[in-house]
Amino acid sequence: MRKGRKRILMFVVGLAMVLMVSSAMAKEIILLERPLNLLGYATQGGAFGIHNEYDTEAGLQSALMNVFIEGDYKIMDRLKFYGAGMLTVDWAYQIKANDSSWHEKGFPKSNGRFNVDYKDWQTIKEAHLTWTPGDFMVRAGKQIVVWGETDGFRLMDQINPLDQRRGFADVEFESTIIPIWLMRLNYSPKLNSDWLLDLGFEFTFNPNAEFIPNQDILPGNDMGGVWAPNVMIPGPFPMGEAHLGSLISNIDQPNLWSHEGFEYAFRIKANVLNTLITLNYFYGLDNSPVTKNVLRFPIFSIASDGKLIIHPFVEGKYPLFRFVGGTFSRDITPLKASFLGGVSPVIRFEGLYAFKSTFASNINTFFKSDELRWAVGLDWKVKIPVLNARSYFTVSPQFYHRAITDYPSYGLSSVEKNNYMATLLVKTAYLNAKLAPTFFWLRDITNQANFFKVEMLYDYTSNWRFTLGTLFLDGNRTGKGFEVFDNKDQVYFKITYRWG
Amino acid sequence: MKKAKTFAMMFGLFALSLLVMIPSSGWAQKEYTITFDQVEKQKAFFDDPRPLFKNLTMKQILPPDVYAKMTYDVGAMKQAWSELVGFKAPDIVGKIAPEIKPGKYTYQDKEKYPGLKQLMIPLHYDTFFKPGGPPHAGNFPEIEIIPTRQYYYALPVAEATKKHMAKVRMNDQGYLIPETYEAGFPFPRPEGKFKAQQIMSNWDKRYLTWENTLWFQHLMGANKNLTIDFDSLANSYALRLQGRTMMTPYGWFDERARKLGETRTFNFVNLAPRDQYGNVVNVVSYADLDKVDQMMVYVNVLRRVRKLTGTDTQDQAVGQDIIFDDYEGFNRKFSPKRYVWKFELIDEREFLTPAYEQDGSAYYARKGLEMRDIKFERRPKYVVKITQTDPNYVYSYSILYIDKETFIYDHIQNYDQKGRLYRTVDSTWSDIPEMGMHTLFQGSLRDHLDMHSNITWNMSFPATWINREHVNLQSMIKGVK
Repeated sequence: MRKGRKRILMFVVGLAMVLMVSSAMAKEIILLERPLNLLGYATQGGAFGIHNEYDTEAGLQSALMNVFIEGDYKIMDRLKFYGAGMLTVDWAYQIKANDSSWHEKGFPKSNGRFNVDYKDWQTIKEAHLTWTPGDFMVRAGKQIVVWGETDGFRLMDQINPLDQRRGFADVEFESTIIPIWLMRLNYSPKLNSDWLLDLGFEFTFNPNAEFIPNQDILPGNDMGGVWAPNVMIPGPFPMGEAHLGSLISNIDQPNLWSHEGFEYAFRIKANVLNTLITLNYFYGLDNSPVTKNVLRFPIFSIASDGKLIIHPFVEGKYPLFRFVGGTFSRDITPLKASFLGGVSPVIRFEGLYAFKSTFASNINTFFKSDELRWAVGLDWKVKIPVLNARSYFTVSPQFYHRAITDYPSYGLSSVEKNNYMATLLVKTAYLNAKLAPTFFWLRDITNQANFFKVEMLYDYTSNWRFTLGTLFLDGNRTGKGFEVFDNKDQVYFKITYRWG
Repeated sequence: MKKAKTFAMMFGLFALSLLVMIPSSGWAQKEYTITFDQVEKQKAFFDDPRPLFKNLTMKQILPPDVYAKMTYDVGAMKQAWSELVGFKAPDIVGKIAPEIKPGKYTYQDKEKYPGLKQLMIPLHYDTFFKPGGPPHAGNFPEIEIIPTRQYYYALPVAEATKKHMAKVRMNDQGYLIPETYEAGFPFPRPEGKFKAQQIMSNWDKRYLTWENTLWFQHLMGANKNLTIDFDSLANSYALRLQGRTMMTPYGWFDERARKLGETRTFNFVNLAPRDQYGNVVNVVSYADLDKVDQMMVYVNVLRRVRKLTGTDTQDQAVGQDIIFDDYEGFNRKFSPKRYVWKFELIDEREFLTPAYEQDGSAYYARKGLEMRDIKFERRPKYVVKITQTDPNYVYSYSILYIDKETFIYDHIQNYDQKGRLYRTVDSTWSDIPEMGMHTLFQGSLRDHLDMHSNITWNMSFPATWINREHVNLQSMIKGVK
């Protein structure tokens, strides 16, 4: 912790130095006769719970602050460095330090996981060198490699892990995706074809220099904080059913720099007759573990509502994840209609076939099966003059299907044989594109659950941004989908100052 | 730290092996360039009257061999161009309000010199020629009228125009037949039934900046109280793919461009504000009248290249008072099928408009966001009105003031579907005499409905090293992150 505090202090000093050299006006800095760009933002948000239940807190439940600095420096004509660092603090742990309800529900125990993000993978975001000799690009260091075409959920995008500890709240992209140490080589040969307009080969290697898995939402208020899912275990227990508490986990991890943790990702990207196509192959580890219960008597504690909390012992591993896949996107010009504003829709498709993925079964075993995942989406800008005479509405529906090819009769604990989801994003802009309302709906068709997000974003200037939004979650199948987040409905705001 | 060291060692080995593997040809050409800092050290965005083009000259920016190749005999250029267009501007102006002589005039002189009203573009006279102040940036309280100059183009542009103009044909609706255009300006002497379309075709085939150009832009936005609310830095790597006359390869850039009829392509790279840092927009345009542009964008927050539709041209660019169809002031494709325009030449006379800057001394004042030290000259102009036949288009009609000698606009008015003045574009161009080239120097963009405005400075130079490699799919991810 002392090391963590020292790092935070260094970060704050660094930030002060950056702010000192930063201008209120966009400006390039010259260092050793080469351009240096320094940019960043600071945000302070607040989330207010609507329900007052065991797994959540009515009123203020999160006061997230992010300070993010990024910059690039052109070392040579073809060699560039990019780095980014972030400090994240949730002040709710200080603000609510004397709040009895907060204490009774056990949220202060999650302090170590949420109050201050001080670990190196949390503070040092990206740090990579990019070398671009001719048709090649080599990028080495801590970085993000994104695959796929879908928005809102990940299908083929499996290289970097995700930080989802803070749930579906209004968190920044930079705090959601976790950069990892990777080497990436791109080669784009010169072409002179009238149908194959661009071609690129991309190879990414993860040497497992630092093993960072997905940071998932965890059960138990002491581990999951205000985003801990409300999973009820049927009785007979005193007071009826019991809460699922934090897990006592023993998860196998691959050794650093060991071949067990190596990951290989290969992608061919092409522009064929103005259609973007990729072919993808990935061999690596799943970023989330599979777990099963250990036959050992769990630990019990008492919740603020008097019910039992059960803390089971689990064990697990990060299983192999291997897939081949592809993406496709192009605009469908014939579908443009003048009365809708004359913009043709862009279709996006993404699919993968994974070999022998590992699942946790309902009979507390690991089970292997091939699986197919695919999604299709559309981005269509339409004019609705009655609602907005000057700007378009972007309407983006998506449909997702995941099928487990050899689904066992005893069932799998987290997926059905067929799993369906759909999303809808609608957004537009008013007041010189400064005010941007957004509506997002994710329907978990299989679990009959919904996630709604309505957000209003106002860019007062290119420095100041104000965000106001609300989240609603519900579900009909007990313990499945968003049902376990039924109490997490919230209203949130955020003030952002950006510089650079 | 140990992790980083080990990783760095691995990277070093990896890089060394690549050095051996990768042939050195193809990327050896020196990528000479400038930086924003270099420009703004010579001329700050605000309150800086120093002559930018005297302190940061093309001779300083370009390697000597490139500079030598891109400069031509001024007398020869003047001669060639006047023969093509049939006049020299100084010879055909001075007929309206001849009492207005070169010299300094302020907005307070309006009553004293009623001839100013006759000479100026009405909107300039009414709403720009006054002290800076809300609701829009870019007013000019004082102008200096200079004697009219003869403007001309680089010798190879003039030669190509002369060589190919006779082959250019229009169809029975007045649209240029793409197969008949080779290079140069298609209609150096617009005339006849389709004169307005010929003028617009000259704009469409414009030689605005070089065939390989690197363009730097600093743009600021201001709300109706003139509070700065947007501040962006961007550069653009641009290639002209058809009708190349000044830089090799001449004609079509390559076989692909010829087969597909690609006319130009560019990567627009955003460097600020922070939200747009690293975003890259890639555009390819076509000669085919019915073929829409191809567009892709690298979205920094997604770290992905997304396909966009080339039909999405009417939404406002973030923080800016333009749409994609207003790129470079006017970027609309004239198609007989989609958003069909009706063309009219509504006037043809001299106007007093901003002179092309030869020294770059005009500047913005922070107070009132007004333009200072701006020079005006009498120029022969076409006034073209284009009316949209589809009521679903964002503008119902536009009026363009286009220079008869250069075929470049100075002022554009765009009206919404209710007939209200919606957006205006005002550009001050540079003139580089020894190169026969004009580039965008300063500009103001106004939204007259949302009461917002932009002011910009721009600096471009010929970048012979720009290649397909700088504007392809991979180039978009080479940016900053």
